[in-house]
Amino acid sequence: MGEVIVITSGKGGVGKTTTTANLGVGLALAQKKVVLIDADIGLRNLDVVMGLENRIVYDLVDVVEGRCRVKQALIRDKRYDNLFLLPAAQTRDKNAVSPEQMKKLCEELKQEFDFVLVDCPAGIEQGFRNAIAGADRALIVTTPEVSAVRDADRIIGLLEAAEIKSFRLVINRLRPEMVKRGDMLDIDDILEILAIELIGVIPDDEKIIISTNRGEQVVTNANDSPAGKAYLNIAQRLLGETVPFLDLYQNQSFFSRLKRLIGLGG
Amino acid sequence: MNKYAVEFKGTKEGVTIYCLEGADFTEILSDLAAKLRQRASFFGDAEVSIDLGNRELTEEEREALITTVTKNSRLRLKSIHSSQEKAPAITSAKRQGEMEDLSLDGFKEGRALVIKRTLRSGQYIRYPGHVIVLGDVNPGAEIAADGDIYVFGTLRGIAHAGANGDRTASVVALRLAPTQLRIADVISRAPDHDDLPDQPEYAYVQDLRILIAAITAKQNT
Ligand SMILES: Nc1ncnc2c1ncn2[C@@H]1O[C@H](COP(=O)(O)OP(=O)(O)OP(=O)(O)O)[C@@H](O)[C@H]1O
Ligand SMILES: [Mg+2]
Repeated sequence: MGEVIVITSGKGGVGKTTTTANLGVGLALAQKKVVLIDADIGLRNLDVVMGLENRIVYDLVDVVEGRCRVKQALIRDKRYDNLFLLPAAQTRDKNAVSPEQMKKLCEELKQEFDFVLVDCPAGIEQGFRNAIAGADRALIVTTPEVSAVRDADRIIGLLEAAEIKSFRLVINRLRPEMVKRGDMLDIDDILEILAIELIGVIPDDEKIIISTNRGEQVVTNANDSPAGKAYLNIAQRLLGETVPFLDLYQNQSFFSRLKRLIGLGG
Repeated sequence: MNKYAVEFKGTKEGVTIYCLEGADFTEILSDLAAKLRQRASFFGDAEVSIDLGNRELTEEEREALITTVTKNSRLRLKSIHSSQEKAPAITSAKRQGEMEDLSLDGFKEGRALVIKRTLRSGQYIRYPGHVIVLGDVNPGAEIAADGDIYVFGTLRGIAHAGANGDRTASVVALRLAPTQLRIADVISRAPDHDDLPDQPEYAYVQDLRILIAAITAKQNT
């Protein structure tokens, strides 16, 4: 049986959809059977990021309202046979789905897939409740900004209250040169507040914007995109492998400090 | 005669005899002798120490105490000490069941809520007593307690002690860096620099202002 991982953040626009798409592809590259659920009903865009918009016939709401079977609504990825998307409805709102329905859906998909990744909407209301309902684990995405970290903290509190015990942090859009100048929160600062385990740090990378506009993911070009490499590493860590953190700083002492903090060797 | 001049307590290490506050020395000797005789067979030859509470003994009194023990029991006397040296003062207070006989400086009583985790943004605790957090209080989290607030971690959120109007309440944290502090009706906000203190501090009200001081070994909050 597979596992359900929700990608969530609280604050909007920090990279949940980008992370869901890249980890989906990263896990598919590792030969896992993966389905991505776009739980951002009314504001769907995982389909656009995946370049699958023109293939949508049925959506999540159709499935939970019984207008089609789950299988019929799943869209197979263009490049990877073992990667699927369950798109959100664009013309409905978040109240069209209940947490119970989401839970049932996740249970069903988990029977067949190794990974069910749920792209959560921003906020802490109904859409969030739905997205986490069937989750076994959570990835919390934040950027190195005080407001994003604050929202991530709120989300962690809500996940704890919802009895989701396993969660790890993705720090997205880090700009090492800004951190060095003292103009951006440092990884240590973020971890000190949130006090949860880090699963990866994604640098700010313009290739992300270029490739998502094409419906492609940077993770497929890990060799010439630092963000792609970072996503590939996270996918491997999700698979239980120990992968050293990228040296975004070209600075050994910083990273040995970081590793000690999150308990990875040395 | 005071019937309760001494009390016995058995521990893994042996027996401790407490000389209660307020009893005079002759009462202690007679009560001790009586109780030792009663319990001689029960205690056998266990090790015993005598806790004098706050009292000071003359050499003569000390001798008398030792003689009383050896004459009335087979207990092996290990030490005679005063509370200040060893047992916490609260022991004698508890033993008498009433705090009034003791200097109450630095004592505070009341019910408490113990929170064994970090409070995160958006989480709010209201409690009609003391609140003790074994963890951090993150920015955006808030505690309001009618009593004191103790944070064994970093306090970055909002803490309101003495929330029902008690200006003698205080806020203590290993690292005190709150967004805002309130004690009773007195409010202060964080200074605009963000250096974390490197030692435990407490906040209290004096002259209608909240003051912050490092916690030192000897203090009365
Ligand atoms: N590491 C990165 N480097 C550069 N741009 C990025 C990075 N991560 C995300 N972006 C860009 O930031 C924008 C927002 O990302 P994304 O849509 O993934 O966020 P989101 O959290 O899903 O937003 P929403 O809350 O609206 O669902 C996108 O334009 C995306 O291309
Ligand atoms: Mg999104």
